[in-house]
Amino acid sequence: MEIAPPGPVKPLWRRIIRSPIFDIFQFSILMLVVFWFFANSTASMGYNWQWYQIPKYIFTFGEAGFKPGPLWDGLMVTIRISGVSLLLAFAIGLAAALFRLSNSFVARTLSRVYLETIRNTPLLIQLFFIYFVLGPVLGISRMASAILALSLFEGAYASEIFRAGIVSIRRGQWEAAYSLGLSTFDSYFYIILPQAVRRILPPLTSQAISLIKDSALVSTIAVYDLTMQAQAVIAETYLVFELWFTVAGIYLAVTVTLSIIVNYMEHRFQVVT
Amino acid sequence: MSIEDTGDYIIVVDHINKTFPNGVKALVDFTTNVHRGEVVVLIGPSGSGKSTFLRCLNGLEDIDSGTIMVDGMVLDDNKKNRFEIRKEVGMVFQQFNLFPHMTVLENVNLAQRRVRKKSKEEAQAMSMDLLKKVGITDKADVYPSQLSGGQQQRVAIARALAMMPKVMLFDEATSALDPEMIGEVLEVMKNLAREGMTMICVTHEMGFAREVSDRVIFMEDGQIVEVGTAEHFFTAPIEERTKLFLSQIL
Repeated sequence: MEIAPPGPVKPLWRRIIRSPIFDIFQFSILMLVVFWFFANSTASMGYNWQWYQIPKYIFTFGEAGFKPGPLWDGLMVTIRISGVSLLLAFAIGLAAALFRLSNSFVARTLSRVYLETIRNTPLLIQLFFIYFVLGPVLGISRMASAILALSLFEGAYASEIFRAGIVSIRRGQWEAAYSLGLSTFDSYFYIILPQAVRRILPPLTSQAISLIKDSALVSTIAVYDLTMQAQAVIAETYLVFELWFTVAGIYLAVTVTLSIIVNYMEHRFQVVT
Repeated sequence: MSIEDTGDYIIVVDHINKTFPNGVKALVDFTTNVHRGEVVVLIGPSGSGKSTFLRCLNGLEDIDSGTIMVDGMVLDDNKKNRFEIRKEVGMVFQQFNLFPHMTVLENVNLAQRRVRKKSKEEAQAMSMDLLKKVGITDKADVYPSQLSGGQQQRVAIARALAMMPKVMLFDEATSALDPEMIGEVLEVMKNLAREGMTMICVTHEMGFAREVSDRVIFMEDGQIVEVGTAEHFFTAPIEERTKLFLSQIL
């Protein structure tokens, strides 16, 4: 990095430092260093980079038009599993949070047992348990096992987020709602949850991103998601480095896109209190 | 008097007791009745149980023993009954407690739509009338955060009135306001009193009490110390504790 001379030039130097172009420049430098590091160290171990091989595993575009490759297919499976699990996880999370906050001893206990069981055992074990133990007994398919395990796991964390959001709403809001004669359901639905959800959007987004990343574990029960497809291609081609870099990049692209969308929503629906 | 003998009373409070979990006795053997159209002002030092009393009347707090009857309905543990009573009792809070994610109009519409099951048009028409009544006509579509404290409190009054309650409870409605905004809220409350609304107000605005109240209750430690007209409190309070308290607030 050049150091600008002090004195009269300073304002320009400041302007350069604060411009977004400088940020991009910094980032490019960083990436170059990382790339150089990898190229150097893999060259010393004699790795033969074959990046040109990669695009065809994502998709090809010939006379026949768009033709998805295995990684594309895997990505679609990952998105489908994550999408369905996300909706279920938030539904389970909200239900568990409401149970936890209810007056019923049974509901509170149930919610507590669910939460502690899920949070204190590894996701991988839960996945195996559902697929290998409950699967044959209850006739749950591979795909359903994957979705069920992910939803239950992330739902436990989501429930704590929902609970925190709900209790963060001032008691006066409940009292105002009740004093107008609103039922508990209406109070939750029209007053408490709309405010709580806006507050917990950031942690809920983190949870959604965790879910997408954790979905890679479903490859262990041979669901052909992005990770499983990558393993399959690697087994054929031995393009270990290129493929794992690519797969990581695809996961990153999906999660960053999600973050950007939520960020936009947060600004759009902000409430001044 | 017996519970059956409610006569002209819209609120009957018979020997109620309320102790908080931390052992503080908020209400001790408290008894009072309120006529239809009567305006009652509750005064007393903080912690004397005034707010708790109001909150018991619409079931925001549970009482330990005694009987509360509102418009002929006994307040019991049944959830349904509690929601029925709340339809007849409007409440205005010190902190306004407007719903921040809804516009002024939506705030006033909500209970009419969800509880009174009115159509959107009906609710809207009534809300606009009420907003006019409290002097907020050009702000129907803004959010509460864009209003001054006085305006917010007037919207809160409109919101409570939208249920067409038979009784209105005011819990220190002007205590959180900047001095220059107290007047506009008191004016709305006075008009309401003159129209014949039954009101129970926790307030230290003795000017308000003098102008519209029928009865002032001074309470301390969960008990009634002295009852009389506002004039009585201004001119001839009897109890020493009343005199001491009045000398502090007047």
